[in-house]
Amino acid sequence: MRISRSFSARLSTNILLITSLLFISSILVVSYYSHKLIGEEATKNASNVLNSATLDINKTLGKVENSVTNMEWIVKEHLTDSSYLYHIVSELVKTNDEIVGSAVAFRSDFYAGKRLYAPYAYEDGEGAIQTKNIGVDKYDYYRMEWFTVAYETKKPHWSEPYFDEGGGQIVMATYSFPLLDEKGEVFAVLTADISLDWLNEKMNAMHPYEHSMTIVLGRDGTYVSHYEKERILNQKIFDFAREVGNPRINKLGEKMVSGDSGTYQMRHGDDIAFAVYGPLGNGWSAAIISLYKDVFAHIMRLNLIITIVSASGLFLLFILCFKTIQKLTQPITEFSVAALNMAKGNFQARLPQIKTQDEMLQLHDSFEYMQKSLTHYITELRTSTAQNERFESELNIARDIQLSMVPTNFPTSDNCSIFATLRPAKEVGGDLYDYIIKDDVLYFAIGDVSGKGVPAALFMSVTKAAFHFIVNLGFPINQVVTKINDSLSESNDKNMFVTFFAGKIDLKTGEMEYCNGGHNPLVLCHPDGRAEFMQAKPNLAMGVFPGFEYEAEQVRLEKGSRILLYTDGVTEAEDVSQNQFGEDRLLQFSQTIGKDEKCQEIVDRLIDEVKSFTKDAVQNDDITIMTIKLI
Amino acid sequence: MNVTINQEGNKYHVVLDGRIDTTNANQFQQDLTPLMEAANADIEIDCSAMEYTSSQGLRIFLMLQKSVMAHSGKMVLCKLQPQVKEVFDITGFSNIIKII
Repeated sequence: MRISRSFSARLSTNILLITSLLFISSILVVSYYSHKLIGEEATKNASNVLNSATLDINKTLGKVENSVTNMEWIVKEHLTDSSYLYHIVSELVKTNDEIVGSAVAFRSDFYAGKRLYAPYAYEDGEGAIQTKNIGVDKYDYYRMEWFTVAYETKKPHWSEPYFDEGGGQIVMATYSFPLLDEKGEVFAVLTADISLDWLNEKMNAMHPYEHSMTIVLGRDGTYVSHYEKERILNQKIFDFAREVGNPRINKLGEKMVSGDSGTYQMRHGDDIAFAVYGPLGNGWSAAIISLYKDVFAHIMRLNLIITIVSASGLFLLFILCFKTIQKLTQPITEFSVAALNMAKGNFQARLPQIKTQDEMLQLHDSFEYMQKSLTHYITELRTSTAQNERFESELNIARDIQLSMVPTNFPTSDNCSIFATLRPAKEVGGDLYDYIIKDDVLYFAIGDVSGKGVPAALFMSVTKAAFHFIVNLGFPINQVVTKINDSLSESNDKNMFVTFFAGKIDLKTGEMEYCNGGHNPLVLCHPDGRAEFMQAKPNLAMGVFPGFEYEAEQVRLEKGSRILLYTDGVTEAEDVSQNQFGEDRLLQFSQTIGKDEKCQEIVDRLIDEVKSFTKDAVQNDDITIMTIKLI
Repeated sequence: MNVTINQEGNKYHVVLDGRIDTTNANQFQQDLTPLMEAANADIEIDCSAMEYTSSQGLRIFLMLQKSVMAHSGKMVLCKLQPQVKEVFDITGFSNIIKII
């Protein structure tokens, strides 16, 4: 048995297919919703991280702003003591970790004769605080943004980040706070420099996801902080967008610079990235960019595990189904073998043992019943076949006996010739003929018992024996018929009858005395070739009424005449359309009989004629033909 | 072969239709059984639609005739087609069965 064709394999495969379909669709649905949820969660998570960092940064910036603002009155108190101003800025640097430098830059000529004057304190490379006046010609702060903006707008100002070329080559930003006199004019700008290294560190420390990237943009889109350090201050986000040819990055830059906050999706190499962004307190903006592949990494791993587990489960399910169904349907295979054996004639073929109370048991019981029935029927069939064979063989013997009862030796004497034939429709039949020649006297008879088969054959043999016996007793022909009739009628409950024609011909004179018992008229063929039906008084068929007095008639036959006797098997022979051969055809045939045609030839020719008329139709009655020629 | 029997008292009107041959002779005999058991029956058999009868058919007519006589009844066949009438004539049954 090939696995691929077995019932269990097909059923298991179907179950596997359906289950797989269910599994796959469940996994897809779960995966879709978990992706969606996790995507949303990731955005929220990144926003939270960003917000917390922003808060932190703003706190630091706020702290710097407060420290500077708090110094305003101290500076104003000590304007006359220019050396104390150094102390003030030194203190500012010393007491604030974030502040790496501080200056008070005075308006031109605030102090008479000093066009530029700006006491400045800063941390040197070793952490010590140094002071100097940065109001020198080669460093004209009137050209510096940190001074001019605050000076002109009279409002505090955070500078754009810049490299401090004078100091430690670090990225810095400066908070400038204008100091106003009684007239509301700016007379000096108090500043605090902060290193942006901490900003960069803080930003880069944010890793909500493995490959998260952080940036901080200045007001014009310059990178203030960037995960690739060399870009800081060297590039604007818009230039970067052009460089990598990604307009989405450009758009992100625009949104950030405009001070918006939100989330934004874009391409990043082969991946999809999303940015959460928001403004910082000093007009800058920060963003965290994360890759979805990181966000979904663990769920992808989870999906992979689910898929592997499901596939293994499905495989196990298939094996289990296959084995179970195979076990359940095993009896069917055995039934099929048993059925094949039964088909080959072995009705005792062993059936599988069924222990379950299910359809298989019903099948088993039906099979068992079928076995018993078949055994029974076959036995019966054998018996009846044997019986039929016996009947057939007995019938064949009966046929031989019957055919041997009618004379088959036909003498060719000097004054007559005779031939007759009897063709039963079945094995045995009810037709008969007979003849006896005694001292130049010919006795002959032809008869037809009603019906066919064995009943007719029995009646026929009685009739034939009676004729032979009674003729030999020397009775006149009408007496012969009357006596046979009496004999047959005596015990004839079945109302069988026999049409009978008996005759006696004096072969020397041609005188014929005949007696008809309800038989068909014979054909008389004259020596000149004419033929006609010889009408005889019908009397009555024999066996019907006991005591019926049959009458005889006489006719004189010329030498060379023939008589043709027949039973209705000839005239009533039918073709397939139930057309009868009929008396007309018989008469026409009789007119074709040649003068010297032998009796046997005539009989054979008539038989052929009838056969060629009936063609394929089954012979439905016994046929007997007898012809006698006077010479 | 169709046998239709209409009964009014002891009068039976029988209509035969078709052929009587080996294949249906037994059925024909069964169909006529009621007539064979009826006393004082006055039976008229319309044979106008009967096309043929074999010798088995004749035997059944003979049985019917005998049983009708035994039960003091009478029977007549009428409107026989010529070829059927001829069979009754040849066998001499016309002599013992009334045919009109």
